[in-house]
Amino acid sequence: MAATRRLQKELNDIRQSGLKSFRDIQVDESNILTWQGLIVPDNPPYNKGAFRIEINFPAEYPFKPPKISFKTKIYHPNIDEKGQVCLPIISAENWKPATKTDQVIQALVALVNDPEPEHPLRAELAEEFLKDRKKFTKNAEEFTKKHSEKRPTD
Amino acid sequence: MSSTEPSQNKTWELSLYELHRTPQEVITDATEIAVSPRSLHSELMCPICLDMLKKTMTTKECLHRFCNDCIITALRSGNKECPTCRKKLVSKRSLRPDPNFDLLISKIYPSRDEYEAHQERLLTKLSMSHSQASLVNSITEGIKLQSQNRPQRSRKNHDDNSNTSNTNGNTENTQNGGSTSAPKEGATTASNPTPSGQSTSNPASVRSTPSPVPSNISSVSKNTSTTKRAKSILTSERSEESESSDGRTEGENSMDTEGEGEPLNPNEIELVFKPHPTEMTGDNQLMRALRDSSVRYLKTTANASVDHLSKYLAMRLTLDLDAELPEAYRLLNFCIYVAPAPGQFVPLAGSQTLRQINDKFWKVVNKPLEMYYSWKKT
Repeated sequence: MAATRRLQKELNDIRQSGLKSFRDIQVDESNILTWQGLIVPDNPPYNKGAFRIEINFPAEYPFKPPKISFKTKIYHPNIDEKGQVCLPIISAENWKPATKTDQVIQALVALVNDPEPEHPLRAELAEEFLKDRKKFTKNAEEFTKKHSEKRPTD
Repeated sequence: MSSTEPSQNKTWELSLYELHRTPQEVITDATEIAVSPRSLHSELMCPICLDMLKKTMTTKECLHRFCNDCIITALRSGNKECPTCRKKLVSKRSLRPDPNFDLLISKIYPSRDEYEAHQERLLTKLSMSHSQASLVNSITEGIKLQSQNRPQRSRKNHDDNSNTSNTNGNTENTQNGGSTSAPKEGATTASNPTPSGQSTSNPASVRSTPSPVPSNISSVSKNTSTTKRAKSILTSERSEESESSDGRTEGENSMDTEGEGEPLNPNEIELVFKPHPTEMTGDNQLMRALRDSSVRYLKTTANASVDHLSKYLAMRLTLDLDAELPEAYRLLNFCIYVAPAPGQFVPLAGSQTLRQINDKFWKVVNKPLEMYYSWKKT
């Protein structure tokens, strides 16, 4: 119950703040614990598309962290084929109830824009990213063009 | 705030602010410092529930504040650390109650129940407006239904319809008129014609008769949010507390915002309402009765006029003073002023809207519009 109320507040705050990099937030009215939204990165090679993510809040929120998964395929060292992402701010050992969802989203957008090959989920992409950036960028760009969603125009 | 883990010799790492800060001088003259409620919001907010702190508890080591209920839930849920900074928090004994902070909050927000009721309303209203797709759907559905029914609609049916919306209009009028007993009844009648689950028929009835509401969309969302909120208030634990303010505010959504933490929408205006310094001196009976609650913070639509404000004020104060004011003073008449420069008071005509006043007199950015009221004995 507490989770619902806080999430409602957070959702309204985020919607009102009009983030450019996280848009089109959709929440099923019957279940505010699941959000969907569109990550719109600024940095190449991901700035050619938009990526749909899902945020799942546990019933114990904010005492337990939310989980984030990518619904859109993305060529990224920190996001695996299943869409799982390793984001320190929402890991169990780092989570603080005072962390708000907009901070989580900002951390996620930052990670998408600037991959962290030091903590990869996909070692082969991290290696490519470090050793052959040109190739990585080319691959990621093609992948983005092929799989990502259209960026909002406004 | 930023202390290192207490090592053997207990060193503290001070932030730049802490290194350079000097004691604040005590203000002894009439200097006033205006702080926008918005900037206060983060200080008065519990980082767990994001509401205003309630029964504040402060962590003894790191001095972070939480609602009593929130921090207890946090400890029970197995998080034995400060929800703000993760410092170890062994048990309830690592906390102390902070009654001074509660006092501070009650000074800043004397009518807190009202503030909370308003927050609640805002939330439902906002979440309604975001499910606009479904709203638009229900409207078109309603129009369709209506046009289907129109040919065979009997005279009687039509009368029924206009009756319901007339009650709607009437309750709004009585409420703005500022009588003390009407609002509660008004609230019940206003929500009666929209039983839950009938939202599709609702837009139709509003459309069919001229009623004093500005546009279809807004009236629909207003009605539905009203019923929705009424429900949510009933289920919330605070129902008894918010009851009094609840009854009053139905149907006059635009007028009742006290102290607000939301970002300001361009169609809304924040304002501070103070008693007129010369006409409302300490020996004025109303002033004596009002004491601390004479200053009001509001946020309301820019379309509200001075007349609206004075009606609001009359009703608000009458409700607040209920027991304290002699019968003869119940109906309060106010004259409202704006002070474009210190000491200069311009009386305002009743038909002026807040937007006009703001544009004409108020050039200070980021500071709420300041208005003054004086009371005319009738």
